[in-house]
Amino acid sequence: MIDRAVRSLTVGMRRGLVPGLTVTTLLLITVAVNALLAPNFFSSYSVISNFSSFVPLVAASIAQTIVVLGGGIDLSLGALITLSSVMSVVLMEGDPGRLPLAVAVAIGVGAAGGLLNGLIVAFLRLQPIVATFAMSFVFAGITLKVLPQPGGQVPAVMTTTYRDSVIGIPVAALVIAGLYGLWWVVKRSTLGRHLYAVGGDERAAYASGVRVNQVRVMSYVLGGTFGGVAALAILANTGSGDPYVGAAVGTALIGGQTTLASIAAVVIGGTALRGGVGGAGGSIGGAVILALVSNIVFFAGISGGYRQLINGAIVIAALALTAVPAFRRSPA
Amino acid sequence: MTDEAAAPSAPSSPVRTAGRWLADHPAAVAGIIAVAMFAAGELLRPGFAGYGQILNVLRVAAFLGIVAAGQTLVILSGGEGVDLSVGKVATLSAIIAARTIDGGNDLMLPGLALALGACALIGLINGLGIAFLRIPPLVMTLGMIAVVQGVILIYTGGQPAGRAAPLMTDLVSGRTVFRIPGILWIWAVVAVGMVVLLRRTAFGWRVHALGTNRLASGLSGINVRRNVVAVYTLSSVLAGLGGFLLLGYTKTVFLNLADGYMLPSVAAVVIGGTTLAGGVGGYPGTVVGAIVLTVLESLLRTMQLDEAARQIVNGIVLILLLSAYGRQARLRQ
Amino acid sequence: MPFLEMRDVHKRFGGVVALDGASLSAEPGELHALLGANGSGKSTLNKTLTGVVAADRAEVLLDGQPVTLRGPREAQARGISAVYQELSLVPDLSVEDNVALGVEPARFGFVDRREQRRTVRGVVERFGSAFEGRLPLDTPVAGLPPGEQQIVEICKAVARDPRILVLDEATASLHEAQVRALFEALRDLKDRGVLVIFTSHRLEEVFELCDRATVLRSGATVGTVELAAADQAEVVRMMLGRSIDRIERDRTEAPEARRVVLEVRGLITDRLRDVSFTVETGEVLGVAGLQGQGQDELLEALFGAARISSGEVRLDGKPIHPRSPRQAVRERIALIPGERAREGLFSRRPILENLTLASVGRRALPGGLLRGARERRAAGDAVRRLQIKLGRLLDPVLTLSGGNQQKVVVGRWLLTEPRVILMDDPTKGIDVGAKEELYSSMRRLADEGVAIVFHSSENLELVRLCGRVLVLFEGRVVQVLEGDQVTEDRLLEASVGVDQVPG
Repeated sequence: MIDRAVRSLTVGMRRGLVPGLTVTTLLLITVAVNALLAPNFFSSYSVISNFSSFVPLVAASIAQTIVVLGGGIDLSLGALITLSSVMSVVLMEGDPGRLPLAVAVAIGVGAAGGLLNGLIVAFLRLQPIVATFAMSFVFAGITLKVLPQPGGQVPAVMTTTYRDSVIGIPVAALVIAGLYGLWWVVKRSTLGRHLYAVGGDERAAYASGVRVNQVRVMSYVLGGTFGGVAALAILANTGSGDPYVGAAVGTALIGGQTTLASIAAVVIGGTALRGGVGGAGGSIGGAVILALVSNIVFFAGISGGYRQLINGAIVIAALALTAVPAFRRSPA
Repeated sequence: MTDEAAAPSAPSSPVRTAGRWLADHPAAVAGIIAVAMFAAGELLRPGFAGYGQILNVLRVAAFLGIVAAGQTLVILSGGEGVDLSVGKVATLSAIIAARTIDGGNDLMLPGLALALGACALIGLINGLGIAFLRIPPLVMTLGMIAVVQGVILIYTGGQPAGRAAPLMTDLVSGRTVFRIPGILWIWAVVAVGMVVLLRRTAFGWRVHALGTNRLASGLSGINVRRNVVAVYTLSSVLAGLGGFLLLGYTKTVFLNLADGYMLPSVAAVVIGGTTLAGGVGGYPGTVVGAIVLTVLESLLRTMQLDEAARQIVNGIVLILLLSAYGRQARLRQ
Repeated sequence: MPFLEMRDVHKRFGGVVALDGASLSAEPGELHALLGANGSGKSTLNKTLTGVVAADRAEVLLDGQPVTLRGPREAQARGISAVYQELSLVPDLSVEDNVALGVEPARFGFVDRREQRRTVRGVVERFGSAFEGRLPLDTPVAGLPPGEQQIVEICKAVARDPRILVLDEATASLHEAQVRALFEALRDLKDRGVLVIFTSHRLEEVFELCDRATVLRSGATVGTVELAAADQAEVVRMMLGRSIDRIERDRTEAPEARRVVLEVRGLITDRLRDVSFTVETGEVLGVAGLQGQGQDELLEALFGAARISSGEVRLDGKPIHPRSPRQAVRERIALIPGERAREGLFSRRPILENLTLASVGRRALPGGLLRGARERRAAGDAVRRLQIKLGRLLDPVLTLSGGNQQKVVVGRWLLTEPRVILMDDPTKGIDVGAKEELYSSMRRLADEGVAIVFHSSENLELVRLCGRVLVLFEGRVVQVLEGDQVTEDRLLEASVGVDQVPG
């Protein structure tokens, strides 16, 4: 019976239950530290502004979660988000009448970019990690073609609504709730089930009659779609377009920081990078933790350099954590 | 493939023989592409393939070639190996060297040692994370970029200072023996060193073995982890050397001096015929790959393509090359 | 007109012929066994039927209609489902989700969880007595013991309401009560008109359960027998392919002063149960058994590549603790691995490197510098000793034939001057001539005083080369045959657990 207990504990670890506990703990700690450092942390202004800043990374990390769950990874996600944000802002030209079109374009560009990634990975059979990395340069180049310099105007109604609140709840918080709802829909669908199966063991899924290639393509399409939402959130939050938003600091790597942060959020949230285990709930927590940590670093008066270093170190530490419980036979 | 190669080949046309030879020697294909691009450039703009211009292309290619030397080792060693931090590490090396040396010839060697030491430490951490914590190399080295960027910002306070030593500039840019820029001689030394390392040392043979078959390597008594750590450490040191030499070329330093080498270093290795799966390839191919990329860049500039279009072209070229070399197995047997 | 008919099925994997004109014909409501020695093509034939393997040539008729099966999906659509040797479960999904995978009841694209639970429960309940405690519908499959995982796998196949159910070694990890539950369920399916194709290494089970058996040998069908009218010895003869008469022996003569080199006592690993034996200088000790009875794990454990939970290993009287292949190499133990391509070869590297890699450090100058001439001389030495036929030393090793590739792997280890050589089925998939040359190399090595532990899936080899053979069954040494006892029929009998209480 001890045997069984040990097994269920290790399985619990593998299924992300234990990391789930970690996420909650980390979340509580970061909130507490934030509240200590910034006394007005719970003021409505501060809450709204915090939630507003969470949404882009939350959406991006849900996008990354879906791709990772299906056994892939999307290193072009940040660039794709940037691309769909600049496409959208260029079309809007600050005209509220074009808002529906701009929303459709942002989502459409995200989905189309995801489709392209998915087709390359599934049918050219390239390793996702290098294929999406190469695609990130294609997306980055198109971004610079569309909008070489920061600019463009978002209609005021978009930014004000985004920073509004409904019966005391910030719109941005509602958006996060809505995103979680969408994820829940994905998870409960047949596609969602197959996503876990393909990521967990693609040969087993294939032998069970799951359409593996179709599922893999769809994971990138869904990822791209959530990426489109992230793009809209960036626009609503900043009010204008910027090809270098979320770029790795000091480099021309467009969207690089967003990509890395989304992977970090996924890992902190307890989704295994090998696929098939985890969920977007944890990743949302991970994204919020990352945002709160950079708040702490900011409040603590730590310079930009240390902020970078700490962010990078947190990502690596999170990745390292996931590696610890795995037990392996000796020849690597 | 086995059968084809083992069976005595039927009499075939010279074209087919040549085709097969080229398929086995991607570096030669890359060389032909480079020559073709010089020719195309010459047609577009006479003088493009002149002696001075070729020397200039080679000089620019040298920095990429040296940074990509470590990348070659990493990719050869397999296991989805790739080192995305080379660009940032090269930048760090230049920044440390510039500040230490600050224009003084006598401080050149200490500056070099300090810069390379810092790079070795970063490479060591990369290697440990990858070999022992099993972090995928791409993610590990991508994360390391942020860490190194942080280190750079802390070290410089956002304002890099210092200059290269005049001696460095002479070594890199000066017309030395046969009136050829010094950097080309340095590159030649690095190239010979790399070939000896890969072809004539036990370590080099083990790196190839690791890349071809990690399981068989372990079962042949090779210390897989130690060698992986060594490979990533060397990669950072070579990137650091590239950054140091680049400082000699630019004389002063910026916060993103060598960052742009990240993707081209991977592309140069792949174009040179080293397979992303690992185990096959070598440094001569990377040398050709670095030249191809530099000529391509120069050609795109001649065609007046902007930065954005060049990124798109680079990405597409990489996808095309990957689909030629780097496919994964089908699900159905 | 038979319900299922497969004719003239051919399949090669690279250079290895797996099926060479196999056929099978069966009726609904039948429990039909598929039998054959190791490597006779049972699994490949099963996988051809379920669409996982694409046959090079095959005729498959269902109800007299020719069908082509382009994948598991299509096979399932035609009512064929299967339980494979390697589980096709997704470890992190729950039992319920695994059983329903690919056939989830859906409404508007959503999984109808209530309906799913109802149908899955219906299937799993039939196997209720196979589970310890209550039905683990919500437990992730990875959390179940191996036997219960196997049952889940079977539930999954049954849940697809198949007309044909293929079970490939489905009882391998089941204990007695689970086997009972399975057999009951299978008989029930049979009564409902389902055709069950059953492959098992436990011959007794086959005789207990099945109506007819089709016997395969070397990828071709030998015949189909009514099991009620046959006895085990007769079936074993069909599997072997000839009546058992005297075979020429080729064993090494015992050198004068033999001494124990390797001594293993009470070895326990994940799959081995209390294995003990000794090997002497100049001896070729055989390791026999059906596939997957722990033979590979035994060799891997001695080589430091599989974890040893307890037990003692002594080399020349000195206790050693092999924890990594590197340590084993240092103790001058060598392993010729079983899956040549996956575990032994650096396929795209030159023959030279493949030969010298394990010993390259010893010949290197300080700083690891290699002297080309010396490496070539060492490699040339191995080439001569093993009569490797090659073009140039710098050709990639994959340009060689299978037999010569294997000799290269052996050569790599010869250059390390081993005291003990562990061989894991080294002649698999190589041609007769190369086999003979490998045998004579083994004899020569033994004569030079090397101790060889030789696992082979071909019993004939063991008969020829070994004076003593351990027979493994489910991780235990069930018999040690010596001298004249080492015959093919004794080996096969011991391997299939005749005279043994299964489990």
